[in-house]
This record gives sequence, structure tokens and C-alpha cells, in this order.
Amino acid sequence: MSDESGRTLVLTVPDWPAVAAAVEHDIAPGRPVAVLHAGKVIAANAPARSAGITAGNNKRAVGYRCPEARVAVWDEEADNRHFSAGVGALDNLVARFTLLSPGTLAIPLDSLRHGYTDEADAVETLVSALVDDTGWEFFPGIAGTVFAAVLAAGQARRVEPGQTVDFLSAQPITTLEYAGAEATALIEVFWQLGLRTLGDLARLQTTDVNARFGAFGRHLHELASGRAGAPLADHVRGEQLDVELDLDAPTTRSDTLGFLARQLGADLLAKVRRQGLVCTQITIELDAAAGQSSSRTWRIEDMQENAIADRLRWQAEGWLAGVGRGSRPGQDPRTAQPDPQALDIVDEPAPDAEDFSDDGIIALRLIAAELTTPIGATRSLFDENTGQITHTLERLQGLFGPDAVLVPGLQGGWDPAETNLWTPWQQAAVPERSPAAPWPGALHAPRPTTVEHSAVDVLAADGSPVEARPSGLGAVPATIRFPTGQTEAITDYSGSWPIESGWWDPNRAVYRTRLQVVTDAGRAFLLSKEHGQWYLTGRYR
Amino acid sequence: MDVMSAAPVIEQLSRETGISTAAALFDKIPPHPVDPVLSPLFRRGGLPRGELVTVTGELSLSCGLATIAAATREQKWCAGIGLGEPAVSSIADLGVDLDHFVNLATPGEDWLRVASILIESFDIVLVDPGFAPSASERARLLAKIRERRMSLISLRPMSGSTEQIEIADTRWSGAEHGRGRLQSCLVRARSQTGSHRFLLPGPSGTPASVPAGTLEVVTGGVPAGTANAAAEARTAPATSPDTDPDMDTDPDMGTDPGTDTADDPRWSTITQLRQVISHVG
Repeated sequence: MSDESGRTLVLTVPDWPAVAAAVEHDIAPGRPVAVLHAGKVIAANAPARSAGITAGNNKRAVGYRCPEARVAVWDEEADNRHFSAGVGALDNLVARFTLLSPGTLAIPLDSLRHGYTDEADAVETLVSALVDDTGWEFFPGIAGTVFAAVLAAGQARRVEPGQTVDFLSAQPITTLEYAGAEATALIEVFWQLGLRTLGDLARLQTTDVNARFGAFGRHLHELASGRAGAPLADHVRGEQLDVELDLDAPTTRSDTLGFLARQLGADLLAKVRRQGLVCTQITIELDAAAGQSSSRTWRIEDMQENAIADRLRWQAEGWLAGVGRGSRPGQDPRTAQPDPQALDIVDEPAPDAEDFSDDGIIALRLIAAELTTPIGATRSLFDENTGQITHTLERLQGLFGPDAVLVPGLQGGWDPAETNLWTPWQQAAVPERSPAAPWPGALHAPRPTTVEHSAVDVLAADGSPVEARPSGLGAVPATIRFPTGQTEAITDYSGSWPIESGWWDPNRAVYRTRLQVVTDAGRAFLLSKEHGQWYLTGRYR
Repeated sequence: MDVMSAAPVIEQLSRETGISTAAALFDKIPPHPVDPVLSPLFRRGGLPRGELVTVTGELSLSCGLATIAAATREQKWCAGIGLGEPAVSSIADLGVDLDHFVNLATPGEDWLRVASILIESFDIVLVDPGFAPSASERARLLAKIRERRMSLISLRPMSGSTEQIEIADTRWSGAEHGRGRLQSCLVRARSQTGSHRFLLPGPSGTPASVPAGTLEVVTGGVPAGTANAAAEARTAPATSPDTDPDMDTDPDMGTDPGTDTADDPRWSTITQLRQVISHVG
């Protein structure tokens, strides 16, 4: 069986979000803590649970049951940060381990066999080392697969070798939630089909499951029947796959930087190759003599030192140019882009690389941001002429700068200006707002085709500005006046609808009223009123 | 060979085999597929390859993006030049596959240089040109397009184009003077195949055909979006009375020598043939 080779120890901290919140907010141990996400309790520590707080309670229910409980909002970032910092003690004790999720980590048992006499001894040593170091309570679980070990850890159990399949088959089908949010729908289907335990699912033929539920169903079937899935990616220690170079004197010369980056990139790639891996994304960090630093992650399809050197050069040029002018225009493609009406205006030329101030870049650092096996990086046969496309776009980036070639993406937001996520070709997209979150009041299709940013005046028939109130518009809009002074008569207008969000935080508070208008020229616009001023935010072109 | 004596032959070819341009006769490249609603706008039912197409008028960007949508879903790469900051949500609404679309935020005066680089490997380039190219630049551009068999869509009138789509009239509905929101836009577009009516964008953001009986009477008896519109336009040019006034007054049309007799497809076919013959030598 796969039992012996895949045997895994999982250590989990129960109610991790509550523990992390206590660390984050310096709450004394023993005080009840409840963590809220989207208005519902998602985790509570033992004192809070003994007071009757359970997952799914709302804030008011927490107040009723346990008035002294501290309520914290879930902070995913803090969850991850505290956990990966806390488990540093393991670095000296085990050869490799994987962080499964905040609060849970897995250690392959065969890596412990050389250092410890038996499993119980290993678990005791590791858990006591972790508890001494962090003060958190760790539940161990051992089983033949990672999934089974995670379930076992929830019950603080050790599953005997060879018993993994029996252990799994007794577990309820809902434990498959571990496989992620997309499993929820399938679990419901399984439940309706009368499959109540993992054993019920495991008894089905693999081929039938594959035919009916596809690859994801097959994955769940594998989990349920205790077959080992893909081996886990190891928790790779940071210092192994980055390279750093401190310069003797600060430099702003891009040719010097390019030359150094080529050597540095070759070092990094050699390091990556020695691990038997391929690097598909690279993070370039530059430190300036004055103390600022710039970090960008690039995806490079054809990873070689010349490509890395080009990216570093582009990043350095854009960044130094920005520092020289006291701002970072490279970050915002909007400002570099001429207005569609003003296409003839010459864009500000990029400053010459030799003209930078005295201090420059003092240190370069390259980090392999995404590593994958060589097979994972191979281009598919079915991607039509991607290689030529890449070549063309890289050439354009070389001519006009990396921010001139943009690929579209979507993020969360109400208006097209917010949902737009244009990312330079081959850079990793960094959405600021989650598209999965609800955005009540978001604009429906048909949406404007271009995003505009200009202040306009919306006037009533008597020439006075149109007010927007929560109850509706103050007057019938009759004319729109553009910044150029040109006016168009409004022939039709939509109902105005307000957006109010973030009122609990003055820094994020948004209150705006939106309006669609059609003018006598047959043109349609999306307008938005914020802070007493109408803005043209979108145009149906 | 006397060019004028070829006209009946071409007429026959065009009517019987659907080959309406000499380029099609020589190259036999099938056009890029387009949305079924837009397909009657094109002489061969799709976006011609190796040719320049202009899409002008209000909502030309929406029309251009809707035209490229089907091709991007078939893994064809498309780039936009000089489009300002397009709204990604509407690009997705119009059916464009976001994985095969790239926007170039390059200075307007560099569009020709950028386009000439993109033509090398892209299947479709959608451009709002910052300036009109000179005659020699245009000739080189067209030769490159023909050689690469890619499609160039210009959102401004440009001579040398083989098909011209002009959005002549837009009528937004749904706003209801403060009681609703924009739902769809009824568009009247003129092309080499006649006058067509459709919704762009339709209620879901994609182009849609006009629902029967819900909108104002279609004047002039040209059934919108039907396959025989081309034949009708050939025999009876400008059948809709409401097309006549703006056709005469439109300043854009006058700049393009190819379109002053655009109502008669035979004329452009002959022009095409003449070009090819002189090209072949």
C-alpha cells in the first residue's frame, strides 16, 4: 500500500485564527477571543467556546453569551505571518516540512526516521519543542496520506500503519471541505446521492467517478480512498533560492546594472537548476543608496539571464526616473497615457539614464518567486504562436518601456475604473480588491467601453448645477459641459443610484452617486458625483 | 485584358460562389469568424484577412471589439493601439477572450511603428490611429497586411480599406428619463452589404439582433440582418429613405475616394481586380 511511503505527521493548532488574533492584539492567554469574518464567528478559543460561542454566531450573539470576549476581525495576512514566524523552531529539528494552511503543517515521516527511534518519540520531541517556543497548543495526527493525517490531527489521533483506509471510510463526507471551496457543491451532490461517509464514495469505481464528476471528482475520490496524491511542495527555505549583490559604489548607469544583472541571473538560474527545478517568475528587488527600495515580480516565459537583465534594467530605469521626479509614475499607466481626445500631445520623454542624481542603486537582489518542475513550465502545443507573440511584445516593451504593453484583468470594484486591472506583459497581476467579494451596487452590463477621468458640469435647464441627493437628483439634467468648454444637450438620463461603503472607516469611506446620460449627439456617458463634483468616469464608445 | 469587360465575370463569381473580392479569388483565405449578429455586415460573413477594414461612427470601439471577439475565442491574438484606457469589464462583456487581448499604451504619434511591429505576429490589430498615414506609408502597411494575412481594423476612416462599416445612428433605450438604466442601444450600420440594424450592446453586453415587434418600424423594407440584404443593396442601392440625408452630409465619407460609389459593390470589385492585376504585373 502507499501507507508506508506517504505516511505523514500533521501538526495543527486548533482555532488558529483566534490564536493569531490573540498574538496580533496582545490579548492575555485565557481571555475569550472570537474571530469574525463577514459578520460571522469563524473561530473562537477554548474559553470562548466554553461560554457558548460557536462558529456562525454573529457579533451580537457573542456579546450576549460572553460580554467579556474580545472580538477581532479575521486578518488572513496576520494568520500567515504569525504562523510561519512561529514554526521557525522546526527548521533545526526536521529536514523538510510544508505549511498546508495557517495553523497546519505537514512533515513526511520518512524524513524523521533517521533522527528518532519511533513515531511517538518524534511527535513528542517536535510538539514539546514547538510548544516551548511558541506557547501554542499543537494537535498531532499521523496517517498514511496528508488528507487522512489532517483529519487525524483534528482528533489528535495516530492511525496505525495499514489502517488509513478504514480510518477514512468512517469519516463523514463533509470532511471533503478540506479540498477547498469548490468542493462544497460536489459534497452536496454526494449527499443527495446517498453517500454519507468517505467509505461510500471510495467504494465507487474510479472510472465512473471520473466520467460523472471530472478531474475534480476524481481528486476527491482519491482523497477519500486514501490514495496518495501529488507529493507536497516542500517548504523551501528562503536563503536557498535568491542571490544578492552589493555594489561597491552606487550606480545609475543602466548598462552597468544590466551587466551585473546578467551575471547575477546566471547564478540564480544555476542554483535553481541544481534543485532540479525551473523558475517561471522572478522577483527583482533594488535598493537605493538613500534607503528606498523597489520590488516587482516578473513572469518570464523563456527564463534566461539576458531576459532577467532586461527586466532589471527596465525596472531600474522606470524607478529611478520616478524617484528623480519625486513620484512613481511608472506604477500608474493612466498618467502616462494621453487622453483619447488629445492623441497629438507628445508624451513626456523618458529621462536619459545618465541624468540621474548622484546616489543610485546600491544593491540588487533576485528571488525565484515561482518554482515548478520542468514539465509544468513546458508550453502547450495548443497555444498558438505564443513564442512569436512573446517576442513581439518584448520588443515593444524594450522600445516603449514595460508599462506600454498591458494585458487585461479584472478585480473587485463598483465602476469600470475600479474593476480594470491592466498589468504589464509578463508581470504578475496584483489585484487590490477581491473580485469574489460582493460589490453591491456594481454597474451592470452594458458597461462603458472606455474609462475616463475628467471633471464635468451637469446643468439643469436654468443653468444651475444638478444636485444629487440620496432620494434622487435635485433637478432634471439638461446639459453636460466638458472640460474643453464644449456642451451637449442631455436627451435621456437614467435613475441615479448611490454607492455607500466603508462608512465605518474614514479612510475607506466611499459615497458617490452615479448617473448614465445620453446626449443629443447620440453619445452615452457614465457620470459619477463625489465630494460635490460630477466626474465623467466612462464613455460608451 | 480590358478591365471593364471583366465586370460581368466578376458579377457572376460574386453572385454564384460568394467570392466578392479578387483577393479572395487569389488567396482563398477564409475570413476570421465573427459574431452571428455582425456577420451580415461583412461581404464574406467574417472579418477578411489580409485587408484593412474601417469601423467608424459612434460606438465604433464597441463594434470593433465585438468583431474581434469570436476570433480571440479561437486563440487568435488581438492587440489594441490608441484606445485610451478600455474598460476590461466591457471587453469581457463583448465576448473577447481576455487571455488573447493586449492593449498598447504607446504615444499616439507612434501608432504606425507599433502597428508595423504587431503585424508580424498578431492576427488582428485594432487601431484608433493618431494621424493619417502618408500615401507611401499606407501602401507599405497594406502590403505588409496582405503578406501576413492578418486583419487591421481602423476606427477612423482610412483609404485603402476594402470594407467600411459606418455606424450611422445610435438609439439608447432603458434610461426612461430617470426611471431606469441603460439597457441596450439600437444601432444602424452601413457597410458594403447594405444597411443593418442590431443591438450593440444588447441587454447582456454582447451584440444582439433586434427583437421582432418591440422597436420602431424598420423603414424602407430592408430586413435587418438577413442574408439577402446584400443582394437587395446591389439591385436597389439606398432603399431606406432615412439613409439618404446623412449619406450626403457626412464629412468623413468625402475623404475616402473608395466610398463615394460604395453603394455599388461592382465598383469596388473592379477596383480590387485592377489593383491585383497591376500587382501581379
